Amino acid sequence: MNWAVNTPWALTGLLLALLPLLNSGMRTSPAPWTALIPADTLSVVIVGCLRLCAMAAIAGLVLGIAGLHRTEQSRERIGHGAHIVLLLDRSSSMDNTFAGRAPNGSDESKATAARRLLTDFVNQRQTDLIGVAEYSTSPLFVMPLTENKNAVQAAIAATATPALGFTHVSKGLGMAISFFEQQPVTGSRIVLLVSDGAAAIDHDSELKLREWFRQQQVRLYWIFLRTAGSPGIFDQPEDSRDDNAGAMPELYLHKFFLGLGSPYRAYEAESPDALKQAIADINRLENLPMHYVERIPRQDLSTTCYSVAALLLLVLLGVKFCEVKR
Amino acid sequence: MSTTLKDYRTGCLLSALIAMLVLFIHPSKQQKTPTYNYTFIIDITRSMNATDYQQDNQAVSRLHFVKQTLRELLQTLPCESKVGLGLFTERRSTLLFEPLEVCSAYTEIDTAIGKVDWRMAWAADSNIAKGLLSTLDMLKKSGSSVIFITDGQEAPPVNPNYQTDFSSVKGQAKGMIIGVGGLQAVPIPKFDSLGKQTGFYSHDDVPHRSSFGQSNLDPSQIKGYNARNAPFGSEAATGNEHLSALQETYLEKLAAESGLTYARLTDLKNLNQALQNPKLATEKMVQTDIRWQPALFALLLLCLVYLPKPPKYRLFS
Repeated sequence: MNWAVNTPWALTGLLLALLPLLNSGMRTSPAPWTALIPADTLSVVIVGCLRLCAMAAIAGLVLGIAGLHRTEQSRERIGHGAHIVLLLDRSSSMDNTFAGRAPNGSDESKATAARRLLTDFVNQRQTDLIGVAEYSTSPLFVMPLTENKNAVQAAIAATATPALGFTHVSKGLGMAISFFEQQPVTGSRIVLLVSDGAAAIDHDSELKLREWFRQQQVRLYWIFLRTAGSPGIFDQPEDSRDDNAGAMPELYLHKFFLGLGSPYRAYEAESPDALKQAIADINRLENLPMHYVERIPRQDLSTTCYSVAALLLLVLLGVKFCEVKR
Repeated sequence: MSTTLKDYRTGCLLSALIAMLVLFIHPSKQQKTPTYNYTFIIDITRSMNATDYQQDNQAVSRLHFVKQTLRELLQTLPCESKVGLGLFTERRSTLLFEPLEVCSAYTEIDTAIGKVDWRMAWAADSNIAKGLLSTLDMLKKSGSSVIFITDGQEAPPVNPNYQTDFSSVKGQAKGMIIGVGGLQAVPIPKFDSLGKQTGFYSHDDVPHRSSFGQSNLDPSQIKGYNARNAPFGSEAATGNEHLSALQETYLEKLAAESGLTYARLTDLKNLNQALQNPKLATEKMVQTDIRWQPALFALLLLCLVYLPKPPKYRLFS
C-alpha cells in the first residue's frame, strides 16, 4: 500500500482523536440519580457510534493536514520494447549537409536531420528505456538508460550546439555497451550508432569490443549518414592498394561489425528520407517481449480525508439538533 | 431549538463545517516562489585533477569535489527549477543536455553529473577566457543562467596582447563564475592512457608563456629578439605553470568583463548562498495547497467540543 505523509510531525495530532473518549460532546441534563435510568443497549451503541464518528473526523482532519498520500508505485508489466542506447557522433563533419556543404536555408545539416528524426523515434518508443552517449575524440556520457522521455529529448536537443573534434568510434562503442552493465537482460538490447564517418579500430579495442558485445548480448544498428561522394559502407575498393582500414575505414568497420557474432544491421542513409526508413525499420523490428516497470504516480489522499471529515462533521451537527431540549 | 443554538458546541460544529466548505471551495492559492534555471558548465581540464580539497579527511580532486557538491545541491533546489549540464575544455564547451526539471529528472541529472570525467575532454588546451566567451555566446538565447565552474588556470598562458573581448555578450547572458581550488599552488597529477596516476606534471612538461603572435614587451627589452625567427626572444621561458592554484583575481576580472558575478566554491552552504542570487531567480506563480489552514481551524473547533470538562461541573452532575 505504501502510504506516506508529507509532514510526519503533524501526526502527533492523532492524539487529539482520543478526546471524544473523555467527553461525549453532548449537553448534560441533570438527573436525580443516574442509577435509576435503566440500561439501554441501543443508547450505548448510539453514543459509541457518535464517539467513533468524532474520533474519525479528528483523525481525518489530522491526516489531511499531514498530507496523506500513496507513494509512487511501480508495477512490473510485460510489454514490447527494448533498451536502446543512442550513440551519437559529435564530430565536426556532422554539422555539414548530406551534400557535404555547410547548411544553407534549404538543406539541413546531418546533425539537424538526425536530431529531428531521433526526436520522433523517441516519442514513438513509449515503453523503452533509452540512454544517450556521444563521442568525438573521446566518449561523453550524457544520459543513463531512463524511461523519462523528456530527459532523452533534452539530451538530443543539446546536440544542436556545435560539434567537436574527431571520430573515435571504439571508445564510444565501449561507453555505449557499459550502459547495459547492471541492467537486467530483458527485451532486446540495442546500440543505435548514428555517425557520418568511421575510424580504424586498433587491435586491443577490437578484442575488447568483441568480448563486450558477446557478454552483454547487444544488437548493433549502424545508421551511416553518407555524405555525397564519400566512400560508403558497402563500396568495394577499386584498387587493391586501397583495401585497408586506413583508406576505407567505413568498409572495415562494417566488416568488423559483421564479425562480431551479435545481430547487426547497417543502413546507409544518403538523405533524411533514407534515415527515416532506417528508423522505421528499427521501430518495426525491435519489439521483443520485455519486462518493464510502469510507474503509477503518487496519489494524493488528503482530499479523501477532508471529505470524510466533512461528512462526519455534518452527521455530528445533525445529531446536535436531535438532542433532548429541556 | 433555541437551546441547541445557544450551546457553544453547536456553534463550534457549524463553524467547523463552514471552514470545511471554504476548504473545498478555495483549496489553493497562487503564490510566487523563486525558481532557478542553471546550466552548469564544468571545467574538465587537467588542472581540475589537482587535489586540494578535503572530504572526510581525504584529499579529493577539484573535479570530484565539484561533482559531489553539485549532486548535493541538486537535492536542495526547489521543484520547477531546471538544471542543464555542459563540459568545458580546449576553448569552448559542449552541452550534454538542455535544462531539465529537477524533481522529475533527479536520477538522470544526478547520474550524469556523477559520470563527468576528465577523460571526456576532446582536446587538451585550457583557454578559459575563450571558452567562457563561446559558452556565453552559445547559451545567451537559452534563458538559462550559465554557471561556469573553473579554477582559472589558463594553459598555455594567455598573451596579454590578445585578450578576449566580451563586449558582444556583456549584459546579454546572465550567470556566475564559480572559482574552484585552493589559493596555494599544488602540482597537477599526470595519468597514463589507462587512467593510472604516473606522477605529476613537471616544470618541463608545460609551456610557461604564450608564443602566439607578437610579444607584449618592448622588443628592445627582449633578449635575443628577432622579429621573424624569435619574436619572444631566445631565452627559455620559466614559470610555475606546472603548478595550479585558483586564479581568483583573473576570474574576478573575467566576471566583471562579461557581466557575470563571481563566487568561490568552499562548501555546499556557500555555493547555495551564492547561487540563490535573486538576479538568477525567476519568480514563478506556483499553485500552493492552503487546505491545511481551514482544516486546522476546523480541527481546533472540533477539539473544543470534546475538550474534557473542568472537574467542578462533575462534582454537581
